[in-house]
Amino acid sequence: MASFKIDGREIPFEPGDTVIRAAARAGIEIPHYCWHPGLSVAANCRMCLVELLPPPGRQALTLNVLRWDPEKREYVDEQKPKLVPACQQPVSEGMEIKNDTSPHVRRARSAVQELLLLNHPVDCPICDQAGECRLQDYWLEHQATAKRMHDEVIHKPKAVRFGPQIVYDAERCIVCTRCVRVSAELARDPVLSVSHRGNLDEIVVSPGRELDHPYSLMTEHVCPVGALTAQDFRFKARVWFLRSAQTICPGCATGCNAFLDYDPRTDTVYRHRPRENPTVNRHWMCDEGMLSYRRVGQDRILRGQIKGEEAVLGEVVRAAAKRLAKARERGALAGLLSAQHSQEDNYAVLALGRALGVRAWFVTGKADGAHDTILRHVDKNPNRAGVLALCPEATPVEGLALALEADEYIDLFALGGDLPDAALGRPFGRPKARIVLATHDGPLARRATVLLPAATWAEGQGTFVNAQGLAQVSERAVRPRGESLPAWRLVLLLASELGIELGWKKFGELGRALQGARGADPSAGTEPDTGVST
Amino acid sequence: MEEKNERRTEAKGGAAGLGPRKVVGTPVRRPERTIAVESYVPEVARGVGITLAHFLRNTKEYVSGQRPDPVLESVGEGINTLSYPEQRRPYPERFRGLHRLTRRADGSPRCVACLCCSTACPAQCIYIEPGEYPVGDGRRGYERFPKRFVIDEVRCVFCGLCVEACPCDAIRMDTGLHAPPYDSRDQFLFEKELLMSFPGRDGSYQTENPRHEPGDPTHPGIDRKRHQ
Repeated sequence: MASFKIDGREIPFEPGDTVIRAAARAGIEIPHYCWHPGLSVAANCRMCLVELLPPPGRQALTLNVLRWDPEKREYVDEQKPKLVPACQQPVSEGMEIKNDTSPHVRRARSAVQELLLLNHPVDCPICDQAGECRLQDYWLEHQATAKRMHDEVIHKPKAVRFGPQIVYDAERCIVCTRCVRVSAELARDPVLSVSHRGNLDEIVVSPGRELDHPYSLMTEHVCPVGALTAQDFRFKARVWFLRSAQTICPGCATGCNAFLDYDPRTDTVYRHRPRENPTVNRHWMCDEGMLSYRRVGQDRILRGQIKGEEAVLGEVVRAAAKRLAKARERGALAGLLSAQHSQEDNYAVLALGRALGVRAWFVTGKADGAHDTILRHVDKNPNRAGVLALCPEATPVEGLALALEADEYIDLFALGGDLPDAALGRPFGRPKARIVLATHDGPLARRATVLLPAATWAEGQGTFVNAQGLAQVSERAVRPRGESLPAWRLVLLLASELGIELGWKKFGELGRALQGARGADPSAGTEPDTGVST
Repeated sequence: MEEKNERRTEAKGGAAGLGPRKVVGTPVRRPERTIAVESYVPEVARGVGITLAHFLRNTKEYVSGQRPDPVLESVGEGINTLSYPEQRRPYPERFRGLHRLTRRADGSPRCVACLCCSTACPAQCIYIEPGEYPVGDGRRGYERFPKRFVIDEVRCVFCGLCVEACPCDAIRMDTGLHAPPYDSRDQFLFEKELLMSFPGRDGSYQTENPRHEPGDPTHPGIDRKRHQ
């Protein structure tokens, strides 16, 4: 493989690589604001300047500069090599780059950092970016001098509403244009642009428009400073109190990789952040997915119910088991799997249902929704492909409604409280027992005779298979709310009450059983992080 | 411990068969049992004499006004009695007492709910719920404010790190008060309103440090030159 040198170290590169990209892949971080691996190159922040050594036998391109000599107390003439931005410089074989070892680079970075902070309000205590701000990090790392400008800073508009999700603070902005490029290149809706020049520049929304495309939260996500803040996260928490769990977005069948940020002290979930995965979502997530973290607390079923009356979990499990035992005797039990739940939950329900002699399986989930060719999938369920792989004979829930009306089945054992609109209008027949394991309030949850509270994706580990057939593991972030338990654990309680041996008792054993049931398809795992910092 | 050691020595001695243990050290001298000692009378008279001497000296000092004031003067010779809580020794100037939240000129808290104090707090006794100013307030969008600000004064270790961490001079420990004894722990959870109701020892609810409200001509930028 072709290689070049950074500070004397051999770095391999691929054709078409820029210096910063090849360096990032090799684990060398060149400081940058405006460059983002998923966006085009702007090269306007000048933070990634590096020294490009001339080929052997050739003279370096230099500039005449004046340097202040503190001993002589006057400016002296000096030659300085012309530095190049690492984000824009294509790599070629045998090229030599000086990064941290060059005094010119260090001086340039310090100067750039000082320039970017000239008009900055330095309001870190009230800025939501504090703790994950590039300006803070690079100030500490690269700025050698204090601010030397004593004039009044330029005052610009603050707290400008860009759209339903985004608030803009022009004083904190360094005009790196990442947000402009996200809108133009990712969302293909060039609604943002830069107005004015020099000190007075700021980001503006096109007249008559709002920043309301379905990827508007990505502009906040890529903002390296606190200029763009999300209406949703603004003033809510300090990032240094948060921990991240590596989860899968439950919003649609794309299965975007996400970080779920939560406060471990209060067990509160605060936000989603996209997690890089080149084969699924690259660096991005849609607004809908970014806000889907709220489902942890919204419309939750926190306690079990028997015929609409809340009861303690033990009682609910006993009531459900009693009805399931009767249903087994009647022999007309229908099973319902949920595309909203993980493979483990579905497999557990499937195993218990088969032991109870379920005659037919159906799949439920959320109704189809808005979609595009960027990330958003029409199927708003994260695990439909997985459920169909587990139980290929399962049919859509609309068939169940018809069959129940025709009294084909007498009882129902269901996972998930959702019913798509098409099945909603149906009277749903008169099943004797409807045992429902649900996380959220929904049409089916409201019609349950016995309702068991299940945990959401954030409250337990689980595998989700996206539309591409990629099985991805989602970690647990917080403890289950209320009395809820992961659905597979509820199934385990039901099985022990019914005296059915399922062959597994722990999550690990369940995972192995699932592996055996699934065989080789679908088998792919999550892609590891590439480690490129954005 | 000693007993154990002794036993061990004895056991050892016993095993070695060395006979009775040798006593080390000087024996305590007992008073001789004379008639004067046995009757207790001279000793009682001596004790009464000491009490009487102190009583007379205190009375003399009290009557003649020579007695040092234990509150204002340091502890001197003789008896120094403080009638606490009516009389209290003043705390030193830099005493870290109960917290107070300082106010702005308009009476609202200076605090901007940045959570620096609760981050710095080693006892984790500060709970803050940040909020945004309502629409129409000039500070909306610039700053946030504490919707709730609670300090658990029982959990607090009075280290003063919150005061050091505050970028706005919004929290101070200069009230000169210490936590009063309550009968339940809930009462030590001091809410924002209570914390704002304490004045500093100079009687002021504000601080000498100027505060630049957004929009006023002294807002950051202009003053930097003068201060540097």
